[in-house]
Amino acid sequence: MKQSLKIGSLTLAIVAFAVACSCSSKPKAAPAPAPTPAPVSTPTVVTTEPAPAPTPVPTPNVEKGELTGSLSEVSSYLKPAFFDYDKADVRSDARDVLAANAAWLKKYLSVRFTIEGHADERGTAQYNLALGDRRANAAKDYLVSLGVDASRIKTVSYGKERPFATGHDEDSWQKNRRAHFVVTAK
Amino acid sequence: MKGNSLNEERREEKISLKGEERAARVSLVAAAFALAAMPLLGQVPKPTSPSSAPSTPASGNAQPSNIDLTLTGATSARRPLAIPVTIAPLSPELQTKAVDPFYTTLSDDLAGSGVFVVADPALYPKGMRPPKSREEGDAWKATSAQFLVDTRLSPDGGNVIVEALLWDLGTLKSIMGKTYTGETRAARRIAHTLASDLVRQFTGRPGPFLTKIAFSSDRDRVAGKAVVKEIYTMDFDGENERRVTYSHTLSLAPDWSPDGKSLVYQSYEKDTPGLWLVGKDGTDKRPIPVPTQLNASPSFSPDGKTVAFCGSVKGNTEIFTVQMDGSKLRRLTENVAIDSTPRWSPNGRELAFTSNRQGTPQIFMMDLEGANVRRVSLAGNWNDEASFSPDGGRLAFACRNEGDFQICVMDLASGRTVQISSGPGAHEGPTWSPDGSKIAWEVQRGDSTQIAVGSADGSGTARIVTSSGNNFSPSWVKTLE
Repeated sequence: MKQSLKIGSLTLAIVAFAVACSCSSKPKAAPAPAPTPAPVSTPTVVTTEPAPAPTPVPTPNVEKGELTGSLSEVSSYLKPAFFDYDKADVRSDARDVLAANAAWLKKYLSVRFTIEGHADERGTAQYNLALGDRRANAAKDYLVSLGVDASRIKTVSYGKERPFATGHDEDSWQKNRRAHFVVTAK
Repeated sequence: MKGNSLNEERREEKISLKGEERAARVSLVAAAFALAAMPLLGQVPKPTSPSSAPSTPASGNAQPSNIDLTLTGATSARRPLAIPVTIAPLSPELQTKAVDPFYTTLSDDLAGSGVFVVADPALYPKGMRPPKSREEGDAWKATSAQFLVDTRLSPDGGNVIVEALLWDLGTLKSIMGKTYTGETRAARRIAHTLASDLVRQFTGRPGPFLTKIAFSSDRDRVAGKAVVKEIYTMDFDGENERRVTYSHTLSLAPDWSPDGKSLVYQSYEKDTPGLWLVGKDGTDKRPIPVPTQLNASPSFSPDGKTVAFCGSVKGNTEIFTVQMDGSKLRRLTENVAIDSTPRWSPNGRELAFTSNRQGTPQIFMMDLEGANVRRVSLAGNWNDEASFSPDGGRLAFACRNEGDFQICVMDLASGRTVQISSGPGAHEGPTWSPDGSKIAWEVQRGDSTQIAVGSADGSGTARIVTSSGNNFSPSWVKTLE
């Protein structure tokens, strides 16, 4: 059971890597920062494979930590963490995403941001507000555990009020079960 | 109703209603109105027999299901009445502006009252009003009616006068007589008033036909921009919609104050969701200052002094109570699970709320100290959004075992539970009419969410009463007057 879980996670990591690579239109000049080692349950990725880089990070000036672009553009550097149905536990894939976000956030220390918690349409509106609140805070807690200063983070729940995908199927539902990042100051 | 007030004059005639007649629920015959031609805004299809209702076994659940899906619409207990339309010819303008809306409204109200059955207008005899002889009375009774609502509309300047007499076709005696005067455009309101008086004649309590429902609507959203929702009110039948808030953000989950003068709701104004109060006409809007996050699902206490709500502290939602000025904040739950959606019981001594502390979201009750916590909903894998009947004896809630949510009503003394909604779509957020006869809820079908109104016992056909944009979270006003 444990073994199959690891294989599953490993496959997921490779797929995530493949997706990330296929999305990048050109090779990055500077190597992306490796994600901070995640907690113990994350499987070790085989060394012959390139390290997963879930977050392509444009780094105009890493040393000074300055960012160009609008807040909306800058927000897109922080990737959403996804959740299971009626759960607020940080999944292994979400841990990878949050680790990459944390690494990026530690470079740009002036960035302030809000984590929005969202839910799919299947629960009731009121319960989903509570669930979204829990998801946003779960993502926040994980970032803080990786060394991101809590004072930079605000959380807000939108429940199922502002879905990202409007379909009525699992594909849309998964997109809507998320902690979503919005940069409010850079 | 500024400039639209109903000047109501009542001329009581001799009412000779015997005790046993009062005790029985009477079906009136309100006549000469083509019920079949009534345009229904929409219908929630309901199973016509218990066998066609979906079964909800407690699958994978050791507990025996106590959900009884037998719809208990005891139509035989209702008194048939005829409602013929006014005889005197009226101008086409008055016909359109007053007469048609009057009879549509009157017939809808009485047919949906749970007290009466409206006899088929196609069977009504011509003339014979008032029924002067045994033969004329029998001609009306041949329609199945036991009572006749004889109404006459006449113009009076910009006003319309409605004279109404209720006849007992058995005794051929008039048992209620009233005259109503109002502006022509208030014809619907006159009809609601008459319908309410007719219900009171037989039950001792007025019908809910003059009451309002508050709700949240996304109709003001701008395409391409983030969803906004504003608070609205409407008559219980969907007419007379009024916008209350101009928040330009999410304003959600309104709940009426006990006196029906104001609303408490959750709004995302000032970036973070908070509790807000507003007069029903949109005036006197102000926040209730609280230190918690989220601040969802506010519920007024029956004395109007306190609000219960779902607040979050460090990502854990708990049930709190607070006074209108933000004072006396109290935390009632202390549990790592999700606790949400508190509703005050009508006696003011208990709160129902939702918690997933035992796994799936279920409904619990507790006292105002947060003690004596007990689980109320037993069957199904998700029960949520509880609402007490006005007498406190029953609980309506969104219930789900498999598939979509439906609306269930539980008798709290016996635990017996009846599903009152049916058909496709997710049915959520029930709220009771102040007389306990009806329940409104939201129904999501595909991309459309609208508010339905049905009987609290599941009998009859629920109607969709909204149509503009999507409409959510109905809250029925708590007073009948």
